[in-house]
Amino acid sequence: MTVKFQEGRRRHLLRATTALSGLLAAAVVAGSLGVSAVSAQESFEAITDENVYFRGWQFRTDVVQGNVDTYNETMGGNVDYATVTGDYPAIMEQNLIAGGELDVLYANPSSAVRYFEGGWITPATALPNSDEIMEDMYPNIREAWTHNGELLGLSYFVSVRGTLLANLELIEEAGFTEEDLPATWPELYDMVYALNEAGVDTPFLPHWFAEYFGISWGFVFEVMNRGGVVADAETNEPMLSVDGPAGETLADWKELWNSGLVPEEVLSYNEAAFIDAYRSGRYVFSPQQLYDIKTFNDESQSADVAGHITLLSSEEQSWGLIDSAMYMMTSRDRAEDHTQDVMNFTSWYGYKNEEGEYAVANRWLEENMLFSAYRSVMESDMAREAIESAVARPEDYQTLLDVYATTDYPAGIWNVVWAEEFNSWLRDKLFAFLQNDLPVEEVINEANAEIERLNDRYGL
Amino acid sequence: MNGSSARPSRSSEPTPHGAPKPRRELSDLQFALVVTVPVLLFLVVVVAYPLGYALYMSFHDIRFFGGYSAEFIGGENYAGVLSDSAFWGALWLTIRFTIVTVLLGLLIGLGLAIVLRDLPPGWKWLRALIILPWAVSPYGTGIFFAYLGRGQTGFGTAFANALGIDEAINFISAQWVIEYLAFGNAWNMAPLVAFFLLANMLTIPKRLYHLAALDRMNRFEQFWNVTLPPLRFTLFVFSCILTVLALKTFDFIFTQTQGGPGNASSVLTYLIYRISFVNLNLGYGAAMSFFLLALILGLTGALFFFWGRKVSR
Repeated sequence: MTVKFQEGRRRHLLRATTALSGLLAAAVVAGSLGVSAVSAQESFEAITDENVYFRGWQFRTDVVQGNVDTYNETMGGNVDYATVTGDYPAIMEQNLIAGGELDVLYANPSSAVRYFEGGWITPATALPNSDEIMEDMYPNIREAWTHNGELLGLSYFVSVRGTLLANLELIEEAGFTEEDLPATWPELYDMVYALNEAGVDTPFLPHWFAEYFGISWGFVFEVMNRGGVVADAETNEPMLSVDGPAGETLADWKELWNSGLVPEEVLSYNEAAFIDAYRSGRYVFSPQQLYDIKTFNDESQSADVAGHITLLSSEEQSWGLIDSAMYMMTSRDRAEDHTQDVMNFTSWYGYKNEEGEYAVANRWLEENMLFSAYRSVMESDMAREAIESAVARPEDYQTLLDVYATTDYPAGIWNVVWAEEFNSWLRDKLFAFLQNDLPVEEVINEANAEIERLNDRYGL
Repeated sequence: MNGSSARPSRSSEPTPHGAPKPRRELSDLQFALVVTVPVLLFLVVVVAYPLGYALYMSFHDIRFFGGYSAEFIGGENYAGVLSDSAFWGALWLTIRFTIVTVLLGLLIGLGLAIVLRDLPPGWKWLRALIILPWAVSPYGTGIFFAYLGRGQTGFGTAFANALGIDEAINFISAQWVIEYLAFGNAWNMAPLVAFFLLANMLTIPKRLYHLAALDRMNRFEQFWNVTLPPLRFTLFVFSCILTVLALKTFDFIFTQTQGGPGNASSVLTYLIYRISFVNLNLGYGAAMSFFLLALILGLTGALFFFWGRKVSR
């Protein structure tokens, strides 16, 4: 059931990408889509003098502040933007529980479902132009962001966390060629050891860093990439097995850890240190965020590796998982007009501005190659140019789109109220698995038991 | 025992009409209440209430989802903590971190104080500069030491490379991370220790050193017999302060290692943070925090019992 579900997603994505490629070729048509019809919403101007509190994690705060300033200047808004450091999902949940000054926030789908189930969120379906917005989204993304029939938020970005990147220069120095590049996880590990035998000290930088989206997400996407499922998308029942993809993943991890090829400090990296490590040029392979391929191939940001970073093909299996984020509106107590201000800003920021342009989404695509859930953004000339300028080789353009189109989404453990609790538990357990040399069977059995416990706790 | 003699009387102040107006004196008890009640009220608000509420939570299963609920479960949380291997692991890491922090903090502080005391004329201004590490926030210190300690960016690798060794030296390893964290923590706190010890040292009469020289004491004997004895009470006080500060250190560890590598530096404060504020298991986290409180009281009490009573006489 779950496999079919995921295959369905892949088909959706493949169809979407085929359409995307065709439309990219038709520049005139695509260009006309770049600035489409003005939104159904007539005005985005602020009605009250009340602040609209907009909070997010730290990423290109200069861009966000610039966008907010534009809104405040052109629409007379009073948006107060600030960032949150630390364990973002937990901090935001505490804010929501406390009914604090919070109106618009970033959220990953896993947190979004919990926030919605907690009654702290007004879904994007409440926006007057929600039908138009939903129609403009790729179906697979809309499906991932929909819970109990409600669209939870508007598109911030859609990406692939765990895109397998390769440093071509190091591969050639070690005596290998592009034809030797692996196509599956088992092949990847084989090549890691082969590279080590060829004299490469650190052939692989695994996704084992300390952030809440680090080692636990690394396990989830590797299991899915190998064809497995962590929990059923419909029933949330645990699906891990010792002799299946989960067991194979952990067995390979244990062998890699015991080989000493992965520096222990990786386990304490934050995201910035993880990115720094790969752009230092010491590692050959690493699962990274799709949009960071732009960072790695940018001479000004990654001088040691720029122009040499390619990505592995997804012809035989997918890589990574769909990593996305939304702009969400809180449902805290506010005056009606104040709530209207929140909606006006969210719609302007997360969809189209007063001129019908996807100003914010386009800027993200142009500056950081952050993909959008909106077809009109992705099927534009600008999207093609942004992607082509980010990859090392022309042929990587199609590979990147293929990777994007075939990526899995862990609905069984993300579109559920206990998503973050399980993620936190899994993070700790996987670290213990590596450091305390726990048996594979024990970890898998405990993970299944933890999912069952959480299902019981929340009456699922 | 009347308190009137303890404070100048204002009963003789003239009224606007010229005649002195008699004023009622506050008794000692009233005066004490006037002075202490606001403080006590303040403490009730900022200490007693949160402490009491934490105690309440520790006996309940607290849930926020689907509306706030608190189900009384007796001592279940406390029993759970005692059978939790993560707690015992974190407890050991906490004690190890605290001992190394206190030892390094006192040693570095004492060393700095001696250097600052013996500065030649014209170099005394260095005394002002030495306080700078203490002025850095623990959050900033954590980020600073994270970069310094990693094999990728740290001074160990830089030093090795300078010697022609192509090796990444990583101090943030499961084996050494606690000692490395303690070193960073001590670096942050030692200047404060040094300043107090220096102040203490400057009160030692110079003639004692002259007498020690007459007795042909070497520098170590002078330090042991002349310098150290008057510092013992200050050292005891700072042992207590550093113990408490080390036991409750959180932000420094959070920014430097996030409890890692893996869970290798997940001390009690970090574990309580994850249980209480990431997993929102507030009852269990509150119960564990009372074990931390007991540890703080126990260690500082032991310090006083075995050391403080002797040096404070």
